[in-house]
Amino acid sequence: MSINVKNLVKRYGTLTVVHGISFDVGKGEFISLLGPSGCGKTTTLRCIAGLEDADGGVVQIDGKVVSAPEQDILVPAHQRQIGMVFQSYAIWPHMTVAANVGFPLSIRKVPAADVAKQVDEALEIVGMRHLRERHPSQLSGGQQQRVALARAIVGRPSVLLFDEPLSNLDAKLREGTRIEIKRLQRELDVATVYVTHDQEEALSMSDRVVVMDHGRITQAGTPKELYRRPANRFVADFVGRASFIDVERGQSNGWSTAGGVALKLDDAGAPKAERYQAMLRPESVEIAPGSHGRVEDGINVLEGRVLESHYLGAYTEYLVDTSGTRVKVHSRSDFDVGDAVTLRFPQEFCRLVALADEQRA
Amino acid sequence: MSEQAISAQPPAVTVARSRSSGGGAVLTGVYWATFLVVVAMVAIPVVALVYGSFRTSAPGLPGDWTLQNYANLASGGVLSSMTTTLIIGLFTSVISIVVGTTIALIVHRTDFRYGNIVVALIGLSFYFPSFILAMAWIIVGAPGGIYNTIVDDTLGLSWLRADIYTSAGIVFVMSLHQVPFVYLTMRGPIAGMDPIYEEAANTAGAKPHQVLLRVTLPLLGYSLISSFILTFVMTIEQFAIPALLGIPGQVTMLATQLYLLVRFTPTDYGLAAAIGVALSLITGAAIWAQRRVTTAGRLTTVTGKAGRLKLIPLGKWRWAANLLCFGFIFLGLVMPMVILIYTSLLKWFTVNPLEGMYTLRNYIFIWESASTLRSFTNTLIVSGVGAAVGVTLGLLCCYFTLRLRPRGYRALDFVVSLPFGVPGVVLGLGLLWAYAYLPLPLYGTLTLMIIAFVTRFLPYATETIGGQMVQIDKSLEEAAWVNGATRSQGIWRILLPLVTPSVQGAYFLLFMAFFREISSAILIYSVNTAVISISIWSFFEQANWGLASALAVVATLIIFIAMALIMRLVPTARRG
Repeated sequence: MSINVKNLVKRYGTLTVVHGISFDVGKGEFISLLGPSGCGKTTTLRCIAGLEDADGGVVQIDGKVVSAPEQDILVPAHQRQIGMVFQSYAIWPHMTVAANVGFPLSIRKVPAADVAKQVDEALEIVGMRHLRERHPSQLSGGQQQRVALARAIVGRPSVLLFDEPLSNLDAKLREGTRIEIKRLQRELDVATVYVTHDQEEALSMSDRVVVMDHGRITQAGTPKELYRRPANRFVADFVGRASFIDVERGQSNGWSTAGGVALKLDDAGAPKAERYQAMLRPESVEIAPGSHGRVEDGINVLEGRVLESHYLGAYTEYLVDTSGTRVKVHSRSDFDVGDAVTLRFPQEFCRLVALADEQRA
Repeated sequence: MSEQAISAQPPAVTVARSRSSGGGAVLTGVYWATFLVVVAMVAIPVVALVYGSFRTSAPGLPGDWTLQNYANLASGGVLSSMTTTLIIGLFTSVISIVVGTTIALIVHRTDFRYGNIVVALIGLSFYFPSFILAMAWIIVGAPGGIYNTIVDDTLGLSWLRADIYTSAGIVFVMSLHQVPFVYLTMRGPIAGMDPIYEEAANTAGAKPHQVLLRVTLPLLGYSLISSFILTFVMTIEQFAIPALLGIPGQVTMLATQLYLLVRFTPTDYGLAAAIGVALSLITGAAIWAQRRVTTAGRLTTVTGKAGRLKLIPLGKWRWAANLLCFGFIFLGLVMPMVILIYTSLLKWFTVNPLEGMYTLRNYIFIWESASTLRSFTNTLIVSGVGAAVGVTLGLLCCYFTLRLRPRGYRALDFVVSLPFGVPGVVLGLGLLWAYAYLPLPLYGTLTLMIIAFVTRFLPYATETIGGQMVQIDKSLEEAAWVNGATRSQGIWRILLPLVTPSVQGAYFLLFMAFFREISSAILIYSVNTAVISISIWSFFEQANWGLASALAVVATLIIFIAMALIMRLVPTARRG
């Protein structure tokens, strides 16, 4: 295990922003902290880095305790041996690219010849070696990004931390850099914590994703678990697109909509809650014209009418009204608003999610 | 995820128990040293002043506690100078705001053609010392001065006679002195305003002048109020102009009355201290109000995406714009300088340049007179050393209040900003009271002069350096820590190199301010510690206009050179 976070607590005055969260990151594992702004994900990262002093809990890096305020241990950031990429890159404007990348080495008194060699290696990895003598003001945003990356990996840290590193790049560049960071992390085989509010980033890069909300972990799991079997409405809503149908427990332990239509749901292992909804991913719903559905085992069939249609190129997003419930559907077929349609979706893609009281849709 | 027994782990790095936000012991020591020095510098004169305001006797002499000084504030003399102060302050501020803002609008918002030259010359006039400006205008506007001689004796138009030794004269010269300040404070908001607001008004059908009146000026509201209040404060605490123009004409403002009570018999140090307290309360309240306004207005408009604004065509008003801009520069800078150079070259003063006997003896005298030369070296020592001390303190204060924020940093921040509210003469009086009692042999030394100047201008240093420091993203330092740098290494290798331009700028700003400072020196100088401003002042009071002018010309040149250095070093320091 390369990073262990146990019961981490952080307060600002009387406001608690991280409520005793725990998670581990294995060697070579890529973990994302995902959540809306203000959920405590960046604070958690900064506590691991030592840029914030935690108020409780224990953080270990490579088995060494670096933060345990109850035992009065708070190792300062400069002794934690980490690589970190900041949201604003934090490339020092008064130093050249080489000086920026060489800083972590020279500050630790590595001989100059070794510094130059390792700087070149690191710059080579990110494809910036030809710009080593440039000043940051002569670099584009994407290039600054790469310098920040080179600086983070140059000392071969055992831990890499990313604080929303792609949020300042444009969409095209973001996709390329995403792939590159992932490739780099695989090659270096280093434990990585990646903070983001972009679910696409989190899903595509991570081995595991930790979803946070209000300073607590709502769910942690592989991207597939999160997408297919979200623990509650918050996760389902935050990760990917989804429709939600109010459901009640019907007779003989089955489920039915508020309108009384029986639904076959995947409710295995769903947590206990006051109220429930059925979550439906728009791409898992089959839409067909007309209103004559045949009944099959394990397949839900709902009849409805097209309310809205939004053409998005690769597919069209339809909003379909089925006896008072609205369902989003992605389809490559063409329908007009007002058409009568039949929706079919298998039981395993209709997931039961818990609904907190304040989250009634 | 395996659950490891963390309690079984040995607490590995007990060596590094220091909290990462607390910094090292060295930094903590430096912090408390800075704290003590700054608090002592600011608190000692203030406490001494308040103490003095409750005493019956002069500083250092036995006396009793009394409330009589405050009762005397209600006497006719003090009340009338209070009224005079407020009225002159109000008129000056209104005129300065109107003229300064108009010039800023003309230069930055219209197709005015001579923007660069006007901006440069207004920059120069901002650093033109007030007492030198007043001297030049006395030579021009005194009853026997150039202007009256010309209109009365030469042209025979006696109804055009004017007297500079009046309230109106003080308002006129003070406005000339304050307009550059208003211009400089309004330039940023006017030039840096986000163009979208005006573009929106344009597309909504507003004509250029309607945009100006309905959108631009209202958006500038907070900046205008803030600039107005600061101008008011600087006017009512002004010492040199009211003293030079008001004492001969018996127009007494609070600052001059305080000076008269200390320097001339019958002296009344207690009443002077009470006036100082009252004046500081007024300026302090005004500055508090200004801070509130600035905080309230912080969310508006300025984005730094300037330069894409559509310029308003001046059209048939071009002549008026030219007249205002160049008229101001003529009256506030060019003419005073010409008059001073002219006067400095004359053997005996005469209005008609054709009758003059020209000589360089005034300049030669500067080099030959030991006391004048000493005032020059004194000034260079006070300015050079004092600015270094001030910048060092300012840098430390900025780092502690903006970055490290240890316990008590808010108190430090507050104390540092206090001298803004204490007029120069009042600070001098406070020091006079303080060093009559303190067992430090500082009275009559250059050190006391340096203490006075540094205290008075410390906020200038913190504003200049802090202005740049807040713009430096904190993550630049954090990146250094994460990469293995300690707090101190982060300061030396990252923060300090990045704030160097503003530190250099602050140095020359203080150097220049010290070079021309007179109000806080006038009560604490002695024969051996006279600075150049005091020498000019004394020569002028002895009616030796030629020598005073020659010294003033030399001092002004030195100030302008220092200013040119600032302009090259720091764009941000131009805010003054």
